[in-house]
Amino acid sequence: MAIFMGNKVAVVAGTTTITTFVSAVSLSREIDAVEITAMTDSVQNLIGGIERPSVTLEVFNDFASSSVNSIFEDALGTKLALQLIPVSGTVTATNPRYSMSVLVAQWQPINGSIDAPMTASITLPVTALSKTTS
Amino acid sequence: MVPSTVRANLKARLATITGLKTYDYIPDSINVPGAVVGQLDLNFDATFNRGFDNATCTILLIVGRMSESAGQTKLDGYLASTGSTSVKAAIEGDVTLSGAVQTLRVTSATAGSVQVASIDYLAYRYNVELIG
Repeated sequence: MAIFMGNKVAVVAGTTTITTFVSAVSLSREIDAVEITAMTDSVQNLIGGIERPSVTLEVFNDFASSSVNSIFEDALGTKLALQLIPVSGTVTATNPRYSMSVLVAQWQPINGSIDAPMTASITLPVTALSKTTS
Repeated sequence: MVPSTVRANLKARLATITGLKTYDYIPDSINVPGAVVGQLDLNFDATFNRGFDNATCTILLIVGRMSESAGQTKLDGYLASTGSTSVKAAIEGDVTLSGAVQTLRVTSATAGSVQVASIDYLAYRYNVELIG
């Protein structure tokens, strides 16, 4: 077990690897804290509720056929399969694959400024999530 | 991004300006007007898994001796943002440098001077931002 740099995350959207267009990615797994505190309790009591994960992507946009823009813009309003692997390469117990279905609830086909390349910054709700190690 | 290819292709873009001599280095003596393509400053890993890098390159435009009034007149043409002698337009005429980078932008031009063979020349320092 070792720490590792986060600069080789593999990102697959649908069936297309978009790793080299992505500058930042974050998969956040959050679970509702449901309160079940009873009148007799002296401290609040909580249990885990439903999971509400989300994924945030910072991507360089590309309007080439089948590239970044068409992948996300064509899927707007629908669900898109997404895979994340901490280090590009073989999936193992120490390098798991996160497979998910995301609702493409937002996309930024145009997000320009005079001093930077065209990028998109999006946060997508995850509607299904699994973790595999092989 | 291959630095030597980027520099060679930047030099080729500058050579599209009629009458402008281009150099890979600051020569012992210079024929003006001339442009010297400098070294690249690289920032690695703009995207995951060695996708793109960021780089900046300085181009030194040397026009004439400080004492020559014609130097400033020449500079006006090179400094213009458009036109056949515009340095910015010449470089951005091919933003991929024949595929050597993904994209580029000439971000600034700063006035100054440079000394070559003990002679002070009027010069401008251009900064080019590259991604590739």
